[in-house]
Amino acid sequence: MAEATFQVDVVSAERELFSGDSTGVYARGVEGDIGLLPRHQPALVLLGHAPVRIKRPDGDQVRIAVHHGFLECRGDELTVLADLAELAVEIDVERARAARARAVRQLEQASTDQEAERARAALSRAELRLGLVKAEQDA
Amino acid sequence: MAAGAAELRTLWRRIDSVRSTQKITHAMELIAASRITRAREAVEAARPYAVMITRVMRDLATEATVGDHPLLSEHEELRRIGVVVISGDRGLAGAYNANILRRADRLVEQEEQAGREVRRYVVGRKAQQTYSYQGRDIAQYWTGVTDRPRYADAAEIAERIIADYSAGEVDRVWVCFTNFRSALRQVPSVLQLLPVRERELSGGEGYAPEYLFEPSPRTLLEQLVPRYVEHRMYAALLESSASEHASRQRAMSNATDNAGELIEDLTREANAARQAAITTEISEIVSGAEALSSG
Repeated sequence: MAEATFQVDVVSAERELFSGDSTGVYARGVEGDIGLLPRHQPALVLLGHAPVRIKRPDGDQVRIAVHHGFLECRGDELTVLADLAELAVEIDVERARAARARAVRQLEQASTDQEAERARAALSRAELRLGLVKAEQDA
Repeated sequence: MAAGAAELRTLWRRIDSVRSTQKITHAMELIAASRITRAREAVEAARPYAVMITRVMRDLATEATVGDHPLLSEHEELRRIGVVVISGDRGLAGAYNANILRRADRLVEQEEQAGREVRRYVVGRKAQQTYSYQGRDIAQYWTGVTDRPRYADAAEIAERIIADYSAGEVDRVWVCFTNFRSALRQVPSVLQLLPVRERELSGGEGYAPEYLFEPSPRTLLEQLVPRYVEHRMYAALLESSASEHASRQRAMSNATDNAGELIEDLTREANAARQAAITTEISEIVSGAEALSSG
């Protein structure tokens, strides 16, 4: 029997990034990692800054960086909604490295909590991007 | 004869000048047309997210107690009202900027007559210039956004407004934006951004009991409401941007047509002047020959 699949859509506020069949979706929620297979119990999960990994029926994997978003699973259908999301293959490594360097510098120089908070957020975004690119290359 | 030639030169110079203006307006028309397409694509691309977030919000609202979320509850007293005005950064867009500013003025007048103070937030250089000229206070302004709005811009604006609303600085927030109905019709409109109206949240189906929530529905809703507000801000920016480009395209298309008519008129005038100069010259030669032969 062929592996069970479900319909997965990844939608950011600006555009639709992915729409297609999948045999499994792996993500990091704010309360821990979660993996969802077809016919999973319906769920609504808040995501942090984390990669979402989508397994295609042909064995390929699609990696997407999600910055603030959530995931809704309703049995045969799974939707990831994100403020901002990027496909791993679209990430500009040079820019992400520069952004990380900038964030580290800003974090050191931050004089107020707000500035530090901003720098930390920028840093975690840059690290997520770079981690994702690395995972894509290793695969 | 010399006077005729000078008049002719002036006419040709004017025709050249109108023609180069026409080239510019025509180029602007084409650019605006391509931007409308892009702006409308952005509106379309944002739709799936809008549909989803609205549905999830509604469903969650039936699950959690909505009333006490700070962005969902009305302030008891309305003392200060926030008004966000979305205009363009540039002119040459027909009545686009004037229309939205007039709509905003009407809203402000209503609020002030009701005895409430108004605090302005401004997107776009045109509105900012107008208000500074009129000597009105602006809480904050953003420029460089409306040509091609990004979600990050909307999030930044929403963040400031949510902060002010949560701190009790403003008790209600309106957004004045231009609704893109079609390429020919753009309507200056007003929407209530904060507090999020209850009817926007009603009609949810709720969740089956076996649903897994991570974290609790209440926390989820708390996280989602600011996202929803950001999203509405983003949608208003996109609509306004598409409207601005459509207005500019129409204005520039009219300008190009007018320039064409002007060139036609001036050419006719120049031809008449040339004809008159030739006639004068011939009659001078004839009368000169006449004078010689009769002498």
